[in-house]
Amino acid sequence: MRNSDFKDNLVNISEEADKSEKPPEPTTKPPLSPTKDSEGRRKLRNWLHGYMKVEMTDGRILVGTFVCTDRDNNIILASCTEHLQPDDDGREEEPRVLGLAMVPGRHVVSISIDESYQSMKHLCS
Amino acid sequence: MALTCSGSTEKSQEFPPPSSNVSVLPTILEVSYNWLDITSEFFQATKDLDLGELLHDDSFGLFEAMSAIEMMDPKMDAGMICNRGKKVMNFDQSVKAGTLKLNNLTMEELVGIFDSIFACLVTWLEGHSAAQTVLTCLYLHKPLSIVDRALRAFSIHTLKLLALINKIIQTACVYEEEDFQTALYGYGTCPEVTETRSAGMMREVEEELQRAVKSSRSKQGEPWDPKMQKQHEDAVALFSRIRFLRLLYAALTAIMRKDQTGIQEAERSLASCTELICIMQNTINRGLKPKAYKDEEGNKDYPTILGFEPLVNQRLLPPTFPRYTRLRTRKEAMAYLEEMVTRVKHCLKITHCTMFQTSLEFIEKFSESRPCVLSRSLAQILYYSLWGGQSMQDVLREGCEKFYLSSRPFTKGSRTFEKIIIIIILLQAKRYVDSFFMQCVSQFEILILTCGHNRARQRDKVALLLEEFALLQDEADKVDAFLHNVLLKSDQPRPHLAYLGTWILYHTLRLMIKYLLTGFTLELYAVHEYHYIYWYLYEFVYVWLVSALSRADAMLLEQEGYEVKGKSSRSSKSRNRNKKKHRPYGKEINYYTGLQHICGGYYKAMMGLRVGGKVKFPLPEFDNEEFRYDHRFMPFRVVMTPPPVHYEQFLLMTDLSNYPKPVTPAILYHDARNHFFKARSFFEAIPNPSTEVLHLIKIVKTNFVVMKLLEGGHKADDGSKPQFDFGLHQCFPIIRIS
Repeated sequence: MRNSDFKDNLVNISEEADKSEKPPEPTTKPPLSPTKDSEGRRKLRNWLHGYMKVEMTDGRILVGTFVCTDRDNNIILASCTEHLQPDDDGREEEPRVLGLAMVPGRHVVSISIDESYQSMKHLCS
Repeated sequence: MALTCSGSTEKSQEFPPPSSNVSVLPTILEVSYNWLDITSEFFQATKDLDLGELLHDDSFGLFEAMSAIEMMDPKMDAGMICNRGKKVMNFDQSVKAGTLKLNNLTMEELVGIFDSIFACLVTWLEGHSAAQTVLTCLYLHKPLSIVDRALRAFSIHTLKLLALINKIIQTACVYEEEDFQTALYGYGTCPEVTETRSAGMMREVEEELQRAVKSSRSKQGEPWDPKMQKQHEDAVALFSRIRFLRLLYAALTAIMRKDQTGIQEAERSLASCTELICIMQNTINRGLKPKAYKDEEGNKDYPTILGFEPLVNQRLLPPTFPRYTRLRTRKEAMAYLEEMVTRVKHCLKITHCTMFQTSLEFIEKFSESRPCVLSRSLAQILYYSLWGGQSMQDVLREGCEKFYLSSRPFTKGSRTFEKIIIIIILLQAKRYVDSFFMQCVSQFEILILTCGHNRARQRDKVALLLEEFALLQDEADKVDAFLHNVLLKSDQPRPHLAYLGTWILYHTLRLMIKYLLTGFTLELYAVHEYHYIYWYLYEFVYVWLVSALSRADAMLLEQEGYEVKGKSSRSSKSRNRNKKKHRPYGKEINYYTGLQHICGGYYKAMMGLRVGGKVKFPLPEFDNEEFRYDHRFMPFRVVMTPPPVHYEQFLLMTDLSNYPKPVTPAILYHDARNHFFKARSFFEAIPNPSTEVLHLIKIVKTNFVVMKLLEGGHKADDGSKPQFDFGLHQCFPIIRIS
């Protein structure tokens, strides 16, 4: 009996929430709406899922799949590996696996995208 | 993450993968990169985004975004370069750069290095990663390249010790990730040198140092040359460390041999270890000290000296590992080693426990002192080695027999269980009993193992174990019923009482008590929860336990009655006298009845405090007592005997309107006072009380007085809240009103 009361409550709340959320939903999910699709966004979306190389202020280089960014150039890379600058003798250490990593925009020095993948993507589409 | 990757790999599969020039993750198919700089283009493009807008596709959400590690954040990013200050060099690089001495180390340097290694070792034993503790010592990476003999022997032997400790802890298997990290990151254990050779090297160095100690002694009648004196003291310091490591290792190896001589040898070695630690503690200051942490390169969490590089293994660790592990200081490390040696010595005593019940109690008591993972593991290993050739099945059978014959010495040797149930001829019945004990084996093994785990994990495991014991209980009842039928049909018809059932019930109840009481030791309960926890203990668990013990008691007496009948009157006088002397479970019954009343006292006291407005309740909108009650007693639901008590029953039984007249706090305090008084009389009836019982007596005495004060209206009206002082006992506090 208790359980059913509890469930009733749950259902009520979610229904209310659904109702209240439904109207604004189209506006909060803009990526595909034409009003917001600017040139910059198109470019960025095109780079999504591409391999990206980001150099950070401390000299390390991260290579991973570009999955997310925002206005402040914070960049999230998935399946990311960390590469160190080769040392004086020219030896390079093994890259270290980081996984999902976010680089704050203020620490981004340079960004490169893997061209070959980009062209592949165009060929496929 | 997997989703986002899959798209790219699928596509690249359609093309033959070109040869790669950068090594990447093996999961991603090898691709050649053709990097195109888009820095300014990218920065320009992101300007189109709104504040707070994230650009991503459907497979990537805010949740994923939140779980990314943040680069360049000193807490999250373990690999930050700019923070390092200086270049991290491995063994070879340091040797090449001339910063690592391989020969001609001073005594001061050696003592310092050894002490730092001990500090690292202790920190590792406390559950930190070896990569951030012991293996930050560069000397341990390539011990064979060291020229200095003392340092080389010490380094090799340390590696051997790491491997041995690893083996012990993994064998016993009573560790969790928070207790111990087994990974040694591929730094071998120096397989080129055998253990015997390694110990031999240690001994050689030891002898050499002993000669140095002797030759530099002060000669009678001559003033001691200060130079000689320093030399002497340095040699003593070094000697004690080398010898300590060798003996500690020898003791652990001896224990792992698991035989009687091994135990004796371990006892001897450990005794010397204790003496050596004293010398080591007095000579800590002789070692090379790390630079003060105000220096550029110093770090207060991780003081380093020659031969140590805290960050050398950083890239071996998972991405978010802390950059430094706070190391124990040398002083703390020595104190830890001293206590550890004492603990190991103590757990050797388990070999004196010859019965299942005593060894179980030994391990339980040992666990209450919150021992380290190494000594916990050793206790387990020693326990299992105890049996020797005896199988667990027999141990349990004996344990069960002893349960009914606890204090009678004349049962030695004979298989008493058969004697009790006099049915050895009936093979079927025997098989039945055998298979029952067989079933018990794994559950009781888990029970012992459970007691080896750390305290917090024990609680979870006890909950699981209760399920298993509920099944055993069922089985025990069936076997008992069967035996009862058989016995009634036998030549000397007599009832078979619930022997096996009572035995299992006894263990089940002990588990329930353990579960509830560990809630106090782990500080899980809020003050406003105390009343139902103590109520449950008082009203049910302890009552059942006392009745189970009384039943065992009664069965024994009854059994004796049958035996007397069967054997006619052989010296019946002395038997009668014996009977009076031994109420086998008298002590336990007194103890547990005392605990029952102490719980009753707390329950009534808590009710009084609640009614008197002295307990802080949670805000009503966040409060659901039923929910909390159900959660606290959840594991008991699976147990058939005693049946679980539901919240409705609790409300019904504790309803204050059950009282004939209106309840005032004073009446409840009065009841509590009576309970504490009764508890005291039971505790005081225990002959040769243990320190625990003495503490309990002190607690009930104090609580009695406090209740009397409260009853008289002391501090009734001011808002002062009671304090619960768990100083004397982890589960039964002294109540204070201040």
